[in-house]
Amino acid sequence: MAEAKEKEENPLDIDGSNFNPDMYLDCLLKCATLKQVMDKEAEVVTQSQFLQSEMQTLVYENYNKFISATETVRKMRTDFKIMQEEMNKLSDNMNKITSFSAQISDSLRESGNNVSRLCGTRQLLDKLQFLFLLPSQLNKAIEEGRYTDAVHDYTHAQRVLQKYGNQPSFQSIQTECSEIIYGLKKTLRERLLSPETSASDLAESVGLLRQLQETDSSLQDIFLSCSESRLDQHLQGLSAMVESTDIIEWVEKCNNTLLADLGIIVSCYHEMFQDKENTNIPDFGDKIMLQVFHLFEEVVKRPDNIGTEILIRGLDKFFRKLQAMTEIISSDTMSNKAIDVVIQCINHKATIQYQSIQTQFKESLTKVRQSLASKGTDTTDLKDILNSLQVYLMQKVQASLLDLMAFLQNNLSFGLKTWCAKAVADTCWKVVSETMINLSDMVKKLACLQTSNNNIPFELLLILAKLCLEMQESGVSTLHTHLQKLLEESAPGLTVENKDTNSVMVHLSTAAQAALDSEVVFIGQTAAQMLRVSVLARDWLRAPEPRGPRAVCRRVVETLASADSAASQLFPTSIKPSSDSSRRTIWSRAPSSFSPLNRIFSERIEVFSPAGADRAALSNGALKVALKSLVECVRLRTFGRHGLQQLQVDVHFLQQRLSCMGNDERLLNALLEDALASAQLRCVDPQLMEPSIVDIICERG
Amino acid sequence: MEEGNSIIYGLEHQTRALSPQYGESDAIRFLIGTQSLKPNSNQIHVVELEEDTGALHTKVFKHDIGEVWHLRCSPHDAATLLTTHNSYDPNTSQCTMGVTLYKLPTVEVIPKDLDDLSAIQSRNAEDMELLTTIKPEGEEEIRCAEWHPTDASRVGVVCAGGVRVYDVTGGELSRVSAAPRLKLANGKWNPHQGHSQFAVLQDMHIKCYDTRSDCTKPAWSIDNAHTQLARDLDFNPNRQFHVASAGDDAALKIWDYRNGKEPIFNRTDHSHWVWTVRYNTYHEQLLLTGSSDARALLTAAASVCVDQDDDGKRLTQVLEDGVLQSYEQHEDSVYCAEWSAAEPWTFASLSYDARLVLSRVPRHFKYKILL
Repeated sequence: MAEAKEKEENPLDIDGSNFNPDMYLDCLLKCATLKQVMDKEAEVVTQSQFLQSEMQTLVYENYNKFISATETVRKMRTDFKIMQEEMNKLSDNMNKITSFSAQISDSLRESGNNVSRLCGTRQLLDKLQFLFLLPSQLNKAIEEGRYTDAVHDYTHAQRVLQKYGNQPSFQSIQTECSEIIYGLKKTLRERLLSPETSASDLAESVGLLRQLQETDSSLQDIFLSCSESRLDQHLQGLSAMVESTDIIEWVEKCNNTLLADLGIIVSCYHEMFQDKENTNIPDFGDKIMLQVFHLFEEVVKRPDNIGTEILIRGLDKFFRKLQAMTEIISSDTMSNKAIDVVIQCINHKATIQYQSIQTQFKESLTKVRQSLASKGTDTTDLKDILNSLQVYLMQKVQASLLDLMAFLQNNLSFGLKTWCAKAVADTCWKVVSETMINLSDMVKKLACLQTSNNNIPFELLLILAKLCLEMQESGVSTLHTHLQKLLEESAPGLTVENKDTNSVMVHLSTAAQAALDSEVVFIGQTAAQMLRVSVLARDWLRAPEPRGPRAVCRRVVETLASADSAASQLFPTSIKPSSDSSRRTIWSRAPSSFSPLNRIFSERIEVFSPAGADRAALSNGALKVALKSLVECVRLRTFGRHGLQQLQVDVHFLQQRLSCMGNDERLLNALLEDALASAQLRCVDPQLMEPSIVDIICERG
Repeated sequence: MEEGNSIIYGLEHQTRALSPQYGESDAIRFLIGTQSLKPNSNQIHVVELEEDTGALHTKVFKHDIGEVWHLRCSPHDAATLLTTHNSYDPNTSQCTMGVTLYKLPTVEVIPKDLDDLSAIQSRNAEDMELLTTIKPEGEEEIRCAEWHPTDASRVGVVCAGGVRVYDVTGGELSRVSAAPRLKLANGKWNPHQGHSQFAVLQDMHIKCYDTRSDCTKPAWSIDNAHTQLARDLDFNPNRQFHVASAGDDAALKIWDYRNGKEPIFNRTDHSHWVWTVRYNTYHEQLLLTGSSDARALLTAAASVCVDQDDDGKRLTQVLEDGVLQSYEQHEDSVYCAEWSAAEPWTFASLSYDARLVLSRVPRHFKYKILL
């Protein structure tokens, strides 16, 4: 660049713009040789000549170009003139076209109006024709049974007729139409009332009537009453079937006829009346369903339908349908009632279960009773009988619990519902508790009977008392856990809520107590009766010298011993002495020293008192009853010397033989000493025998 | 006699005969007969409770004819009494029973002056006037003798084999023989039905005979009234068809004997045989029982004593049914319990160990009944 500038500014560059010829010439003359100057001169001359000729060529060329341009311009001037003329022509033509078109549209407007008027007239005529034909159309439609078309036509025409009805020509049509429609309404109503029409026909009829502007409420009433009469027929049919068919057949019939129709009726009702308040349908549905449920209950109660499987299947079908119905009717009472039906079924089943358990148990008890009555105590193993009774009862209860679990099957429509599980749990528990309570009641009744007649073997009372106690101790809780296990399998997460086991326990324990008391009193009274009769019948005043204990004493001992051994089979012997003997102060008076004072130091003996549930307490109880009666009877008699001595021997014998029974020797001794002391008081010559002689006589006898 | 406190009177010999003095309407007086086989040792004790002071006064009479099994004061004359007795004759070594009418020299017991007092304190037994002795034929055991409720000259005697009616002079008027196999235990005149019916206890049954006929068929009967032996009965003084019974099944039952199938009232509160039952003469809802469990029980049977007013509505029942009070002062069997004839709230119970206990109905029950 700098070079270029330098070059540019260089005044010596001949091609540069700052060329200074003088300076160049001076420079040239100063620096160059002559030759060089001469050469330079020649070069410059040639260059100048060349430039001269080039310039000449250029000028010539430009001239040529100018000439041709001039020519072209001249030519153009003439062409434009022609164009102008053409344009003018075009604009003229356009103007003409515009005017023509305006002329044409003017002329066509009139005919177009005519055409549209004609179209309107035609439409009107069509409508008029429809109107004039309406009566016959209606008739035709009605004759052919196309009530829907007729009503459709009529509703179309009705508006016009209403508008122009006052004109004479239309009046006749209107009256004719309304007569026809009146007839139609009548036939529709008739159809409503006739029992043959199906529910869908019924709904159609009511829909038509509604379109014919019948008032809603009266229609609703008619509709519902008609439906009701129709459903009543179904109900009658169903109730007639109750006796003859099984539950599945019945439920199917019910689902297909009554419930299906009810569903149609209800949905039609909703469709037609759009009853916002929804007042009638729930009541209506409830009314019908109440009767259905009633019939269903009867069906369930029929003995044919006891089988769990058939019952559950029938119930399942019924409940499914009911659930579907509930959605249609959307009534709470209905869904509640459906649940109630299932729960009722479960309850019914449970009731049958525990009733049958009771009757079966009673039967087995009768068998036990007979076998006990026919055999002696020695040959029968009471423990075996107890076990078999217990196992039998437990198995029966467990089987029925298992049976009830069938209500919780997964494939059932209600099987997985919590309310159902709860109901099953409740009823299962009810089966357990009712069985136990029934058992207790039965035992109590037997115990009660025992005191009035003596047909019941005392062993049975012992067995039943033990059974009650066993149930109380383990049976109830075993069943409870068993039930819980079953429930856990069928309905996980569900537990038997804190059931009232206490009242069941109380029932059982009171029953056991009653049976034990009754047994003790029975044994005691039997022995007491023997002693009483023997004491009262004998002439003690003139009795011979004693040779041994009287036979009745042996019998008394035998009776008490057999009861004791029976009790020992079932009730364990408790080693510790009973509490009342430990409380008793020492009874140390000699038999001869009867005085009221001594009694102050002895404890009162309760004769008929509740018996404890062990062998010794039972024997104690029986001993008390028997020996107290001996005391009382002795006091009613008068004894001679030998009579007294006989009694002394008897007492000694009893003391020897009975001391092994029971665990309260003081009680035994107190009563026996009381008997002897009373006899001494009642003796005209109170001389006792030497104890050693009494011993010998007793052993000899 | 304060609330809850009873007065105890002890005798020397065993006792099983007690009677209120029916003919006396002012003084609370009871008569006790002793039972001893020793000759000439038996006595009749007259016990009077002085109501104001609560003091007990006694008078003793000799009863040398034998031990007293049963004792009844006459309802017609306060001084006359009837004993059923038994005596042993060592010569024949036989016992003989009989019924004797006595007359007390005086009914007064409370000493008038110091002489009287000293006489009583020395406890010298006085003599009674023997009116008649009735000895039934044979060796039949006599259970008891009962005054006819209205006819002062008639006495009903219950023997083991039947009922006899005697004139007070000793002549037999009529006899009713029960079935010989089952012995009679006790008996009583029916105070209703024209005073001619005599009810007896035979084994477990109650049977009532008409004494006017010799008919062996009972006028009415309650079979199997008790499951064991029946021991005593008492007629409701106000309701003519109600009768209370007690027996060896420890039960107290009230029957409407027109329908003798089921008792209308049934309680088992004693724990041994019940030997005696008595209606309160003034308040029929109160019953007194004595038992060989050494207790006397005061029981209310209010539910069967509820009257209907004019509109047929049941009047309200004042007391709850059941035992009102248990009297446990005895140590031995209580064979007799009797209401006082003069005062509606006092009663006596007598046990075999010769202890007489005079008690009262607790005051709050008394007020409940009265108010």
